Amino acid sequence: MLWRIDPVSDEPLYAQLAAQARLAAARGDLVPGDRLPAARDLADSLELNVHTVLKAYQQLRDEGLIELRRGRGAVVTSRAAADLSPVDSALAALVRAARAANLSAETLTALLKEAMSR
Amino acid sequence: MTAPSRTTVLFSSLTALVLVAIAATVVWSWRDDLPDPLASHWGGRSSVPDGFSSLKALTLSTGVLVVLLLALFAAIGWFWGSTATTRRLVAASAVWAGGFGACLLLFTAGVQRGLTDASRATLPGWAVAGLLVLPLAPAVVAALLVRKDPREPAGGPVGPDAPRLALGGDERAVWIHRADGGPGLIAGALAIAVVAVLAVVLREWALLIVPVLLAALFAAMFAFTVRVDATGLTVRSVLGWPGTHIPLEEVERASVAEVRPIREFGGWGWRVGRRGRVGVVLRAGESLLVERSADRSFVVTVGDAATGAALLNTLAERSRAA
Repeated sequence: MLWRIDPVSDEPLYAQLAAQARLAAARGDLVPGDRLPAARDLADSLELNVHTVLKAYQQLRDEGLIELRRGRGAVVTSRAAADLSPVDSALAALVRAARAANLSAETLTALLKEAMSR
Repeated sequence: MTAPSRTTVLFSSLTALVLVAIAATVVWSWRDDLPDPLASHWGGRSSVPDGFSSLKALTLSTGVLVVLLLALFAAIGWFWGSTATTRRLVAASAVWAGGFGACLLLFTAGVQRGLTDASRATLPGWAVAGLLVLPLAPAVVAALLVRKDPREPAGGPVGPDAPRLALGGDERAVWIHRADGGPGLIAGALAIAVVAVLAVVLREWALLIVPVLLAALFAAMFAFTVRVDATGLTVRSVLGWPGTHIPLEEVERASVAEVRPIREFGGWGWRVGRRGRVGVVLRAGESLLVERSADRSFVVTVGDAATGAALLNTLAERSRAA
């Protein structure tokens, strides 16, 4: 899969990585049994410290998306397969409504974050 | 045909011929101790020879066999040797063929020294295994001696019609995908099983080294990690060897292609195909094709190749601009 990071973004680098793995699992690009790249490889390619990648992997493990096994690396668990199609369709509706109300992406994100934290 | 491929073909063929010539000289120096005719072929049971020939005929037929093999490898190197990988394969194959011929002469004659009746000659299992395995040592050395491809940056820009990926100016990206399995694995398992059963049925335990080596080879050849990042394309066996790397500056165009393993590469695995195209071919279908500077090309059968190709083009273009 494709991994990308934006070093000038406000979001921490490890969080960017973790978010992409979550998204890939939600979209079915990562399926149970798939292996994430070796942390060392990913760190080398993205010019990151290996601990940044390991932090992302640890967060994903704590969420139950992957298992970290000695010798086998990071393996996607069976729990990872969640059906996101209702979220996708609701999101499309939300974006339509936000555009109609002339809301900026930042305002919408702020609203979404507030709603999620309730 | 390039100068490096000429060098490879010349030196590996010469080495092979010298190996056979040395073995022939040694064997001829034994001629007073050897029966005439010699046993030259053993049937299923190694204790009973079923073919006989004179020393002259044995030397000649071995020489002809080696020369035919060398001609085949030379042709591959001559016409398709544009990539270092191919030249390594050619050098190793040619030297192995020479070593095989040399061992064939030495072992066949060696086990008959001091005999007066060739029908009592036996060919032990270790000799048969040694015949296949011993020449691997000089072959590996020959492969390692082949010089790497020189740095050869592409002349022009990345193909304008090739796919691209939207990537911000500061963004870094990597695409990593695994390529494994495929029908070649079944063929490999079958070959290993057949040789192992043969060794057990014939009670030639030394022959068991052949399936062991084959198993190691197949383990290395049928699971690869494919990676596109700011250094270029890297394809490496999950065992760490073999592998290859194409730097961004040599990428002219990356795209998605359909591979037909038998028709284009004559089988599965690490292959050299038509017009010298190097392929890591594990199955038919979707693959990432990279057209490379100096009229070279490389293909690897891998899923999600569209993303890999787009990222490779994008990063190659970015590196040219820098």
